Amino acid sequence: MAATATVTTSQVYIDVIEDVIVKVRDEFINNAGPGEEVLKELQALWESKMIQAGVLVAPIERSSGTKTNPGAVHDLNVPYEGNEEYETPTAEMLFPPTPLQTPMQTPLPGTVDNSMYNIPTGSSDYTSSGNDADVKGGQPSPYVQQLPPSPWMNQRPSLDVNVAYDDGRDEAGRGTSNQPLTQEFFKAPMGKRKRDDLASQYNNADGYIPQQDGAGDSASGSFEVEVCGGRISINAHHTTSKEKIPADLGRPTSRIPQLDGPIPFDDDMLSTPNIYNYEGVLSEDYNIANTPAPPEIPASTPALVAQNEAANDNEDDDDDDEPLNENDDDDDFDDLDQGEDQDTHHLVLAQFDKVTRTKSRWKCTLKDGIMHINNKDILFNKATGEFDF
Amino acid sequence: MATFELYRRSTIGMCLTETLDEMVQNGTLSPELAIQVLVQFDKSMAEALETQVKSKVSIKGHLHTYRFCDNVWTFMLQDAVIKIDDCQENVGRVKIVACDSKLLTQ
Repeated sequence: MAATATVTTSQVYIDVIEDVIVKVRDEFINNAGPGEEVLKELQALWESKMIQAGVLVAPIERSSGTKTNPGAVHDLNVPYEGNEEYETPTAEMLFPPTPLQTPMQTPLPGTVDNSMYNIPTGSSDYTSSGNDADVKGGQPSPYVQQLPPSPWMNQRPSLDVNVAYDDGRDEAGRGTSNQPLTQEFFKAPMGKRKRDDLASQYNNADGYIPQQDGAGDSASGSFEVEVCGGRISINAHHTTSKEKIPADLGRPTSRIPQLDGPIPFDDDMLSTPNIYNYEGVLSEDYNIANTPAPPEIPASTPALVAQNEAANDNEDDDDDDEPLNENDDDDDFDDLDQGEDQDTHHLVLAQFDKVTRTKSRWKCTLKDGIMHINNKDILFNKATGEFDF
Repeated sequence: MATFELYRRSTIGMCLTETLDEMVQNGTLSPELAIQVLVQFDKSMAEALETQVKSKVSIKGHLHTYRFCDNVWTFMLQDAVIKIDDCQENVGRVKIVACDSKLLTQ
């Protein structure tokens, strides 16, 4: 989606980004946070996404001036972060080809590893090695630095620079070539050790090692779910555990059946109050499983639940909805929306001061809103709406 | 202090959410810190809209659907005409989501 932006909205966005980064800087630096580099990476990634989306105008003029980090060793990889030499990141630096981007996403345990890559010579070695990831040199430095954990990237990280790792390079191709194996027996344990460390670090968190070579299909999609829901706030779930997402936050793979009674096999008695009268109404299967009076029905629920989960939950839902005609109104609007492109999904997000109605005439006063209309982002301080229902 | 999370659905909010999502999946960032960033974004965005933006728009159209739930109004308009200062936009279909402005100042 390539929206167009006016200069003023772009400037407002830049100011918002600056404000956010400034205000969270303390969290990143103090209290053993991830550090300034991660913050810079966050900002750079955010801005690059917005430029890609077309809502941010490329030359980013910052009011805060240069932001020099104490380390100051990654200037090569941080092109427009406060450097006055060049204001505008080039397209190649900002928009690396997408396939090259994906291997970068292998996880890095923490800042400890980051510090190992603070060796400037090390980082330049990476660029010279012609690594695909180095095309992203324009990306914030931690991005490049965080390559090491992945098996095939083993050698790139500065960790191994001081060790003669010519053999180690073959380690990535260990699965393919047999000859280096004999030599690699020394190296392999080290490599495995690293991976085990990596795995253990993830075991602490989730037992889940992200291995992405494409769209992030992992189970930790809490943010996606959160945005779609609109009402499911991250606050609600971040009190539970660090990374594990409660199953009921929307991942279909771990669905929690929420029914208020036994699940009928085929009939449409999913959640109606008549559930306890079904002996005379439902098919004979129920009677076989469950001959006694209604109070005993809940006891048999687990068995029915298990059977039905395996069988036909979705079909039951459809059967229930059709006779109730619940979707009559929604289909008109929603299906058309789904068929449309993202660009045409015009949206206004605002706060309302007042909403009134007289007969079929609606009036509302809105304030502080963001509109995404006709592929453009427009901000407003006040809005008045008059609608006819 | 509670914040309106609705601005996270805007382009800037979605970019931030995606960025944070990637960094959390990378392990670069902890989820708690990502949440703090989002909350700060809510505050900064609301404040910027209040202080830096001065334009006034008017929206007219046919109301196809209205909904008020949990203090949030959702309107679906058809054939809307939106006037922004001097220029005008016509949109076939637009969704308006509005939170109660009084909730923030409680």
